[in-house]
Amino acid sequence: MSALRSWFARLRGVFDKERREKELAEEIEAHLQMHLEDNVDAGMTPAEARRQALIEFGGIEQTKEDYRSRVGIPELETVIRDVRFGLHIMRKRAGFSIVAVITLALGIGFNTAIFSVVDSILLRPLPVKYPSQIMLLTPEQRRGVFSIHEYLEIEKQTPDIFSGLIGYEDWLDGVTVNGQTDRSMNSYVTGNFFSVLGIEPSLGRLFLPSEGRVAMADPVMVLSYSCWKSRFHRDSRIIGTKISVDGHEVRIVGVAPQGFYGVNSWVNVQGYLPIGMAPITGDVPDNFVANRTFRGLTVLGRVQDGVTLRKAESALGIAARQLSHEDPRDEEDLTLAVFPELTTRLGTPGTAVRVSGLFLGLGALVLILACLNIANLFLACAATRSREMALRAALGAGRGRLVRQMFTESILLAAAGAMLGIVLGWCGGAFLSSVNLQTDIPLRLEFSFDWRVLSYALAAAVVTALLVGIVPAIYVSRGELGPLLNQSGRYTMKGWRRFRNAFMAAQVGGSLMLLIAAGLFIRSLTKAQRANLGFDPDHVLNLTMDPLLTGYNKVQGTAFYRNLLDRVRALPGIVSASTAFSVPMGYTTIADTITIERNPREAAHQDSPSSYNVVSPGYFDNMRIAIIRGRAFTEADDEHAQHVAIVSESFARRYWPLVCPIGQRFKMAGDPQHFCRVIGVAADARYKGVTGSIGPYLYVPFAQRPWDDSWETLQVRTVRFPESMIPAIKREVDSLAVGQPIWDIETMNQGLYTLSGLLPFQVSADLAAALGVLGLILAVVGIYGVVSYDANQRTHEIAVRVALGAQPKAILITIIRQGMLVVAVGLVAGLAGAFATARLLKHFLIVSATDVATYLAVSTTLALVALVACWIPALRALCIEPAIALRHE
Amino acid sequence: MADRTDVWQGTLALMILKTLETLGPLHGYGIARRIERTSGNQLSVKHGTIYPALLKLEQEGYVTSEWQVSKSNRRAKCYKLTRAGRKQLGEETRDWKAMAAIVARVLSAREGS
Repeated sequence: MSALRSWFARLRGVFDKERREKELAEEIEAHLQMHLEDNVDAGMTPAEARRQALIEFGGIEQTKEDYRSRVGIPELETVIRDVRFGLHIMRKRAGFSIVAVITLALGIGFNTAIFSVVDSILLRPLPVKYPSQIMLLTPEQRRGVFSIHEYLEIEKQTPDIFSGLIGYEDWLDGVTVNGQTDRSMNSYVTGNFFSVLGIEPSLGRLFLPSEGRVAMADPVMVLSYSCWKSRFHRDSRIIGTKISVDGHEVRIVGVAPQGFYGVNSWVNVQGYLPIGMAPITGDVPDNFVANRTFRGLTVLGRVQDGVTLRKAESALGIAARQLSHEDPRDEEDLTLAVFPELTTRLGTPGTAVRVSGLFLGLGALVLILACLNIANLFLACAATRSREMALRAALGAGRGRLVRQMFTESILLAAAGAMLGIVLGWCGGAFLSSVNLQTDIPLRLEFSFDWRVLSYALAAAVVTALLVGIVPAIYVSRGELGPLLNQSGRYTMKGWRRFRNAFMAAQVGGSLMLLIAAGLFIRSLTKAQRANLGFDPDHVLNLTMDPLLTGYNKVQGTAFYRNLLDRVRALPGIVSASTAFSVPMGYTTIADTITIERNPREAAHQDSPSSYNVVSPGYFDNMRIAIIRGRAFTEADDEHAQHVAIVSESFARRYWPLVCPIGQRFKMAGDPQHFCRVIGVAADARYKGVTGSIGPYLYVPFAQRPWDDSWETLQVRTVRFPESMIPAIKREVDSLAVGQPIWDIETMNQGLYTLSGLLPFQVSADLAAALGVLGLILAVVGIYGVVSYDANQRTHEIAVRVALGAQPKAILITIIRQGMLVVAVGLVAGLAGAFATARLLKHFLIVSATDVATYLAVSTTLALVALVACWIPALRALCIEPAIALRHE
Repeated sequence: MADRTDVWQGTLALMILKTLETLGPLHGYGIARRIERTSGNQLSVKHGTIYPALLKLEQEGYVTSEWQVSKSNRRAKCYKLTRAGRKQLGEETRDWKAMAAIVARVLSAREGS
């Protein structure tokens, strides 16, 4: 206990030193005075008395020194002294300090922004109780969704494994409040959703376990906090009021707490309804609870304490076998897998690791370059301070002390850089979250800073401080400081030249790698933009709507679009118009399992999935997709006629390689009552991804669509600018259906920039370009700094040479040649590095990762820039008057 | 392990505490002279070493200090034993005596016993 007390007393003493030292001096003087008086009393002369007193006292300075070392905490005091001195040095070298801090801030800030993105989507746990217990269940054979029956069976079979099993489906609904309809992403959840997740309402109540079991029986709704805030202005009287969802009336019973956004880290769910209400979306059949073939439920489970993943998997294995046994046709060889929710954020765990790895890797490279820059400049400065260091050593500072001093400076720079970097990173994150993903879906892109991001920034700062400080520190600790005191202060320490050059080469190499990456990404983008898509997207306007949201049923919806197309086609300035469910590269896609009707003697074909589109007559003509066999849809292919379909080239090639596809029949699993007859073959068009192989695709007429809602995108080809026709088309829509909301209004070209289309290329190219520019700036600053410093150190030597008759031009060439030699080494290293890591970029590019043209172009550019960066400082050094240089000692 | 200076500092602290217990509040010079005298002038303590030792005792909470004006109108810093200090003195004295007894026994052990 006394040790702790002592420590606190000493801590106080650090700040109280002056006063205490003064008091001690007074105390000692009083002591000596008293002793002196006693001695005089004992008979000594005053002079002798004083002498004796002093002898008996011992060394006064020694006492003071002992006292001093005990009154405070010496280690803390040296640190404070170091920091004070470091700040003083930084102020003196203001120019260098500012450049260094900004460079470091850029490096740290960039890294922090990237990490905050990665953190927000991939690392942050769900906003629920004990999020590490939440697991995702998924069948291995198909898309990871279940039917209600399967969900209930699994729940029944695994009571020891899961303390609760929840299910949910997300749908985009039209929510009408006071006559105004807006699109809203709602989650249809099982009754135990909130209780299993441990969520408490912020207003009203949440769902009861009984709600949702019977279809359409519980028309209640829970709002998300953000929806309550933005749409209802936090009105506490909304509990009990009724609003309309997809034309059906529901009653609001509660509001979820702030910060809860559902169980999907990508999406901002606006409201929750019981799963029983799902049929109102129009995409779920009325009998879906009993219907074992309808699967749309994503299932999560909370594991009980002590249950391992293996135990859960084996229990699920039993449940799967049970389901297979019960329903061998539908559930053949069912295998259930379970993963911790956190690992499933970006689809497969592999993709998440790859993407975040790429960006973090690039960021680390930038940071290292920035550090090299600063370290190099530091080294240069350290050389000029060698005299000061020698002096300090002579005065008794140990090597450890000098090393600590240098590290303090680098830590101060890193700290300042980190603080500025965090601000920059925050701005960067805000910018990234404003990137337009070309969709109305409320994607959750909040890149706020939490403890993880801040610790990452801190770690980056520490690493930076170490990297920056370590070389000058070694320099100082190994140098022979004695001889320095005798020199004229122009000591450059030849051995360290090599180190500086190595740094410069590393910088050039690193910058080259960044620039090559940038070049490759940009080339990928241009290639993607010029890809042949199979249709003509120019001069086309897309408008998306769904009359079901305002209560139209299937028949009314069909009539609505028929009338709308007639009217729009009649407008001046319109070339053609059609509607489609999916637009190329759009987020709205659908697929179904196809069963080909075969001759009984032919071998049975496996049921295969195929993506498809639901289009109006005139689609192929409008999109300029060629019909290479048969015919396109007409008005005659309506709901009363025989069901027909048009298949793509790839589809025909796969299923009927030898016979003519026209007249062949197949069934779609989602519409088992009808056979579809093939009446035409369309040329392949790209709907998903601008590169890679095209899968089979088919088209069915809108009037024969196998579902109830009428979600379609109106696609209008215009004579002039598509945007100019927006008001006219809106008027037509409104005249047919008042208050009908329209969204995603954009040109087809704009619509190509989605996550499945050109957007990833665009974003990567932008990011890589920014990185490349940053790397280039760092390299230029580095080269300029080093060459400039070298030249300055040698003005003396240069002046002597000039005085002895050497040509200035020859000296210029020498300096430049020496600099460019280092640059050349760096370029070679960079090329080698780029080659070696080319494999890593393969996944993100559609050009070869070792594209020679790009490598050559980038290297040449960097070499030229480096040349200029060597030329200018050399020139400036030469311009100094020889007389001045000779005099300057 | 404590080296010789540490041991010496420890015993000096002990002697200071004892002095303050016996004589009551006292200034540094007084403490130094007292220690000299009671040791029979066998210990020639450099007076200066008192002060760092007093500082340590003060930081540990065993003594408190106060500036006082003495009879001859002089300012002197007076040190006083605290309750914790009294307790510490008792404990350390016991330890010291016990240690001394053990060492004495070892030193007087005869061959074979």
